[in-house]
Amino acid sequence: MAHRLEKRVLLEHAEDPDLRTLDGYRRLAGGYETLERAYKEMEQDEVLQELEDSGLRGRGGAGFSMGKKASFLPRGDMAKYLCCNADESEPGAFKDRELMQRNPHQLIEGIAIAALAADAGHAFIFIRGEYDEQADILDAAVAEAYEAGYLGTNILGCHRDLELVVHRGAGAYICGEETALLDALEGKRGNPRLKPPFPAVQGLYGGPTLINNVETLSNVPHIVRRGAEWFKGFGTEQSPGTKVVSVSGGVRKPGNYEVELGIPTRELIYDLAGGPEEGHEIKAFFPGGSSSPVLKAEEGLDLPYSFEAMAEAGSMLGSGSIIVCDDRVSIPHLALRTARFYHHESCGKCVPCREGTNWTVKMLERMVRGEATPMDLDIVSSVQQNIIGHCLCVLGDSMAMPVGAMVRKFREEFEEVMANPDLVLDPHAVVQGAPETLGAST
Amino acid sequence: MSPAGREVTITIDGREVPAVEGEMLHDAARKGDVEIPYFCYEPKLGDPVGACRMCLVEIEGIPKLQTSCSTPVREGMVVHTRTEQVKEAQNSVVEFLLVNHPLDCPVCDKGGECPLQDISYGWGPGKSRVIDEKRHFEKPIELSPLVAIDRERCILCYRCVRFSQEVSEDAQLQLIERGDRTYVGTFDDRPYVAPFQGNITDICPVGALTNYTYRFRARPWDIEHAGSVCTICPSQCNVSFTVRDEKVKRVISRDNHEVDDGWLCDRGRYGFEMFDAPERVREPQLKGGAVSWEQALEAVAEGLRRAGGKVAAIAGDASNEEGFLLQRILRDALGSPHIDSRPSRGPKADVLRRLAEPNVSAKVRDIDEADAILVLGTDPLHSSPILDLRVRKAIRRNGAKLVVATERPTALDGGAEAIARYAPGQAAHFVGELASAIGGSDNVATPVAETLRDAGKVVVIWGERIAREDGAAEALLDVAAATNMSTTDGAGLLEIPDTTNARGLREAGCLPDAGPGLSDTTAGKSTEEIREALISGELTTLVLFGADPLRDFPDTPAWEEALTAADFVLTFSMHDNATTAKSDVVLPLETHAEKDGTVTHPDGRLQRVRPSASRPENVVPNILVLSELATKLGLDTGIDSQPTAFQALTNAVTLYNGIEDEQIGGRGLRWQDREGATSARTGTEQPGPGGPPEGGSPDTQRDAPISMVQPDPTPRGVASADPPSGGPSTAANGDLLLGTYRDLWAGPVTELNPPLKFLTPQQRVEISRTDAERLDLKSGDKVRVNGIEAEAHVKERVPAGVVFMAEGVSDGNANALLNGGPVQVKIEKLDEATA
Ligand SMILES: Cc1cc2nc3c(=O)[nH]c(=O)nc-3n(C[C@H](O)[C@H](O)[C@H](O)COP(=O)(O)O)c2cc1C
Ligand code: SF4
Ligand code: SF4
Ligand code: FES
Repeated sequence: MAHRLEKRVLLEHAEDPDLRTLDGYRRLAGGYETLERAYKEMEQDEVLQELEDSGLRGRGGAGFSMGKKASFLPRGDMAKYLCCNADESEPGAFKDRELMQRNPHQLIEGIAIAALAADAGHAFIFIRGEYDEQADILDAAVAEAYEAGYLGTNILGCHRDLELVVHRGAGAYICGEETALLDALEGKRGNPRLKPPFPAVQGLYGGPTLINNVETLSNVPHIVRRGAEWFKGFGTEQSPGTKVVSVSGGVRKPGNYEVELGIPTRELIYDLAGGPEEGHEIKAFFPGGSSSPVLKAEEGLDLPYSFEAMAEAGSMLGSGSIIVCDDRVSIPHLALRTARFYHHESCGKCVPCREGTNWTVKMLERMVRGEATPMDLDIVSSVQQNIIGHCLCVLGDSMAMPVGAMVRKFREEFEEVMANPDLVLDPHAVVQGAPETLGAST
Repeated sequence: MSPAGREVTITIDGREVPAVEGEMLHDAARKGDVEIPYFCYEPKLGDPVGACRMCLVEIEGIPKLQTSCSTPVREGMVVHTRTEQVKEAQNSVVEFLLVNHPLDCPVCDKGGECPLQDISYGWGPGKSRVIDEKRHFEKPIELSPLVAIDRERCILCYRCVRFSQEVSEDAQLQLIERGDRTYVGTFDDRPYVAPFQGNITDICPVGALTNYTYRFRARPWDIEHAGSVCTICPSQCNVSFTVRDEKVKRVISRDNHEVDDGWLCDRGRYGFEMFDAPERVREPQLKGGAVSWEQALEAVAEGLRRAGGKVAAIAGDASNEEGFLLQRILRDALGSPHIDSRPSRGPKADVLRRLAEPNVSAKVRDIDEADAILVLGTDPLHSSPILDLRVRKAIRRNGAKLVVATERPTALDGGAEAIARYAPGQAAHFVGELASAIGGSDNVATPVAETLRDAGKVVVIWGERIAREDGAAEALLDVAAATNMSTTDGAGLLEIPDTTNARGLREAGCLPDAGPGLSDTTAGKSTEEIREALISGELTTLVLFGADPLRDFPDTPAWEEALTAADFVLTFSMHDNATTAKSDVVLPLETHAEKDGTVTHPDGRLQRVRPSASRPENVVPNILVLSELATKLGLDTGIDSQPTAFQALTNAVTLYNGIEDEQIGGRGLRWQDREGATSARTGTEQPGPGGPPEGGSPDTQRDAPISMVQPDPTPRGVASADPPSGGPSTAANGDLLLGTYRDLWAGPVTELNPPLKFLTPQQRVEISRTDAERLDLKSGDKVRVNGIEAEAHVKERVPAGVVFMAEGVSDGNANALLNGGPVQVKIEKLDEATA
């Protein structure tokens, strides 16, 4: 059962394995009724208006208004595309996996309705290669949806077509960046493109393209079914709706929890995720995945969990993934581990990210080996500054922001480790991997 | 996307700078004399990529710094390039670039001419904070036999890769791995072999890509740059010779948008070592023995006088001035009208005059903005390589529609909307059909015609060789009429001639039926007729100037016979070859690094070839040799230098009247573009330049429909040929029709150039899958074709019924099989034992 603090919309009936099937989805969740109504009764602009009015913000990281983005697509006869970003590769994020695994039809219905809003005739789900099982589930669901006439040509006799293809990525984090995703889909090396032009204007194969995250699109059927006002009844004014939050790291019940945006972060971490293990304290946490600047416990735990509150605190909600560090975690090692991830995943196209991630890793390695001086800390900080805002995409910033924040907020700890590298008893007590299931409350 | 073309004013560093709306801020800044450092930006390579981040600037109203290379200019933009914030960003990008850079400038060829060095000095922090280990690669290693790659020095600016993918479209260069492990390489580490690869060494902003031909040969302070024109092929690309101790050490591009777009092919770039080949003719030779100039010229004057007017001359690789002097000697000193500059025959003078009309002539730059391009009877990759790149660019960047009509598959087929294959000998027939199909008839040429009909600006790039067929050039003029060329700005015909300065030589008067300026004159014999007259004894004496009939002209056996029959053969040649071996006197020619003179590009652009390197001791400027010879023969030309020769040329050639050397300058001058240029025929003013470019979507790979053209039932003696009509269609006796082409790499440029030797082509017999199956052949099998032994090469897209063989190769030259008409060949498979 859901915890009283949870508010399940996207994850309603999630425990029921039948939900995966078309029949189950229809029976349990009134599946595809909204699609039917939208296709039969609604104009493109009505759908768009509903989405825009709802204030739904992108759940993939940047938090941009979904309806607004869809409205940027130029009108006309050219081929338009919709891409669902299911690359979910950011450390700490595992909510899209759950949504696709448990309720694939909700996403497909969302895509089909969003395609109506975008006037797109072709849609793709770009799913990370490692999500093999989820891709199989999606494939099966897509086949069912074609079979039932919700996809394909002349959908429900409404003279609209939509082809939906599940495309498996080859395992690069950068391919979650929307323009790299487009290049990868086109069969090229997955490197970000220069923006502008933005994908909404010139995206896949040069055509107008709407790109949204799995969770963003999964919200669409609910908004169109129950209306923007209903949706705005959840969350805060600037962060309406519910959010599936992945909580991991030093908590007793890691997992995905769907909550109204704006609930106290403390409740998410302590009441839902069970708080730190016996005898330990929370030292810091990433509020929005590994690319968000860490917040010290005392800075962050009492903030409402919303886009605006996290931004105000100098961090971000990002994809909505909380990684908790308890008092055993060595921050310098965490910084190194974070930097290594981004160094490994940097596509290498632009100089500050390519060289900055590499140099940062080398410096942090020296630090934890005790081969550095406090002056090196200044260099690390300045290198992070030199990366931020200078890159082609934000992957570079995604390392520089958290690493910069760690050096700034935990400078003494760095100095301590540099002076006594052997003192760190458990350098690997950083964060745990992603758990397999819904929040432990289920 | 659209450069709206509106004039706007922006403010850079407090100064107002005029700009064009939509152009990149970086370009506007450069024009306004504001220097913004950059590495990856290079408009020649296509859209900006924004990879290096060196060009960041501050733009008021935008919180983050922006890359000036990719930011289009808007009215009223206020830009800062020198603020603290920008400086910090520049410092940091330089610092980042050097994190992994080996800083081995003292042993790097690029040192002294390296943008990374310059920008590090000018815009970097001046000191390093890096004490960590740098990345390592094995270095230098062979990227290809011509280019070495040092991956440690590479700053991953994407330029070379973009060149390979978006300019030459060979797609061989790739970025492999990712992040700071990324490196430039090829699939499976195969050598990068492509005809334009040398360009990557020009555009690499560091010492990562260097030419094997130049490694450790010179330092920037040892060298001089000498601008000239490459006359290896009719593209006439503008080059700059890197000269040390009066010898050419390197050839780089001298970026002329009107001619070459700043690219060179590898022949032009690496072909300079043949200047010093052992085969070079370095002094006058009489009957194979070295003699003094005095003796040589005496013997020549004597030989020519003895001919008593039964003398002919053929010019090949010659400057305008040389051609002009040669025809004066023939016509005015020796009283012979028999002069030509074509390998066999060509259109009559009146047709040539019509083809030279400014209003049906395209210039190279028209390709960029053409709506439709027809490539007809030529494969630019082989015959004028730089135009291959130009056509690709027009398709990729401007959405031009391409159609191809040739005998043999071309390198451009992949980008064509429609392709027509006509049988060898059927060009005239096809072009005639095309003209009527554009006019509305339905015939074999209709698929191609559909793209050209009402297309707007049509540029036809055509090969001179189609005009060897009677009526082809006239039909081409009908195509011009059918596509309204004469009234459409930016439309026109652009010939790719067989020889490098064909247009200049024709205009200088080296034609049997036209004097200087294509003027009327007593008709003489064409090249083919000269050959026959030598054999019959009607002519006794031959002057060859930069022409090698035994390699380059059709019908080698007949030429052998003609040279043997001649009483006296004088050959001006750069290198010893089969033709010089049969000559009585051989006089040395200058190379294009030594010569002083003008040439005329196929689009009418007069260009100046300038002496850049020293000549071998006994090589004398050829115009002086010719004028001296004229004097000896009693003709005072008044020419004693390049300026006087040029003066005489422009006085005599009406098309060039009044052109001054300064007007030609370093960029050349199209005679048609002069104020009040006279037309070749009617003296009318020529129309103004073309209109603005149109947008279009890039799409360079399609499966174009290919139409196989049935032959005219009664062409000259081809009745037995039943060439391509889609299915197997071979003559009843199993014979195939021979088509020939000149391979890009065939000739002295590979054979006499050590660095290019590995590219020397072998003869091979290209055959269709259908015929190969019928003859039980597979690629690599040894075959004999009318006496020539070669390897079979089964090639997709070769029409059934035809085989193709290369002209100009040293072994098994297909010119030996040609006889002026269609040629049937028999293919015998040689079994291992006989082979
Ligand atoms: C390096 C990088 C990786 C990203 N990975 C993902 C991802 O895995 N999934 C995702 O939805 N968005 C990802 N994004 C964000 C996308 O670029 C894009 O903003 C998002 O897909 C838009 O969808 P939304 O508006 O629904 O959030 C990534 C961005 C960057 C810079
Ligand atoms: S920031 Fe990093 S990942 Fe993004 S383009 Fe630059 S190198 Fe690639
Ligand atoms: S080799 Fe040169 S041109 Fe190619 S990416 Fe490296 S630095 Fe750029
Ligand atoms: S020149 Fe602008 S990013 Fe490289």
